Amino acid sequence: MTSAPSPGRNAAPARGLAVTVAAVWGTSVTAAMVAVPLALRDRLPDPLATHWSGGSVPDDNMSFAADLVVTLALWGVAWIILLAAALHGAALRTRIIRINWWAFLFGWAVFALGVQGSTLYANLDAATWREAELPPWTIFAVLLVAFAVGTLAGYLGRGGPDPATGHPAEPPPAVRLRPGRRTVWVSRVSNPWLTWLAVTAPVAALIVIGLAAGDVVDVPAAWSILSVAVPISLLGVATATVRVTVDPQGLRVGLGPWGWPARRTPAGAIESAWAERRTPGEVGGWGVRSVPGTGRTTLMLRGGDHLVIRRARGGEFAVSADDAERGAALLNAYIAEAAGS
Amino acid sequence: MLLTLDLNDPRPLHEQVAGAIRRAIADGSYAPGDRLPPARDLAGALGINANTVLRALRELRDEGLLEFRRGRGVSVLNRPDAHAVLVEAARELLAEADRYGYGPEEVIHIIRELS
Repeated sequence: MTSAPSPGRNAAPARGLAVTVAAVWGTSVTAAMVAVPLALRDRLPDPLATHWSGGSVPDDNMSFAADLVVTLALWGVAWIILLAAALHGAALRTRIIRINWWAFLFGWAVFALGVQGSTLYANLDAATWREAELPPWTIFAVLLVAFAVGTLAGYLGRGGPDPATGHPAEPPPAVRLRPGRRTVWVSRVSNPWLTWLAVTAPVAALIVIGLAAGDVVDVPAAWSILSVAVPISLLGVATATVRVTVDPQGLRVGLGPWGWPARRTPAGAIESAWAERRTPGEVGGWGVRSVPGTGRTTLMLRGGDHLVIRRARGGEFAVSADDAERGAALLNAYIAEAAGS
Repeated sequence: MLLTLDLNDPRPLHEQVAGAIRRAIADGSYAPGDRLPPARDLAGALGINANTVLRALRELRDEGLLEFRRGRGVSVLNRPDAHAVLVEAARELLAEADRYGYGPEEVIHIIRELS
């Protein structure tokens, strides 16, 4: 067989490796973050200088224990999330996510270690935290090294290219079109969580206006928050519900609870259609998701069945739809009809 | 939801729509508990009045197939019984036979031969 390996077969060893590396590497990083400051404790002032503004003079401090907790949290939270994502498995199935995952695992660890290391370096052998001087270049060095390590790790961990999505092995259920009949397919999917999120944004904006009216925040700030919150909210409501229709003209995807605005793709402009299971983890989240360079766009509302079309002039478009198999079958029938006439 | 309307069917439109929805539920694309697309969406796709679809939905509710819940739309309560499904299938078969110029008697004859 020369076909691309299925994601299911591919994911298992990659996932095992990722989990192992994340566990070993993460444990080592955590151990170093605890051991190094403890070993140097006698040479450090308490409290430690923890913040520098502008030049090299410290302007804030924290106790030794608090600083240790904060630095551990900086790394630990990211580590747990990454480990959970690897254990979940689905997250590492696509290349873009794998690259981000590996880049974060190493880049973020280096960043957290760098933050801790530079803090310890500045405080080392200082009598009090006010004398702990940090050369301004250190933060740039930390960022640069973390970014470089992250990029390298992402590159090494990128894995094979994503298997070309295609038609399911078994032929889709055939839909027969007969003259004198009108056959249509309708699906509506909405995600209550996304709607809820989108609706809370203007509520937050209204609270800000209220605060502005009460002179708690200044008016220009309120306007700028409002000018961001309202479009985000509208966009959110529009992409939290989607109405997908297949009729003799082709595919119609209507956004929002009113199905408007809508985008129509004539049957003649579609090469083929099929149903496919996709998850938010695979496409990089909810809403309109596209990976640059692949020409693939997904309107993701929830994990599960998606109706996918390949356009005649290239590019793929997928949209969340219940009962997508029947929709794809009917669309294929109309595509064949459009090609025949 | 896959719906087919026969433009030559002499039955009233709401009966045809009810039949189409009954078929869609019978073929398993919607299971008990699933929410149907709103009547407005179905009407828009079929190119008919939303009231016609609502009338069909009410008929199916009275048959015990659908459940109307305020704020939650229309959902499937039960699968249609075998008799109703077979009636729809037979109606379809008769319409198909008619297109080839076969009458009901000839269809019955074919069924006898098969069984």
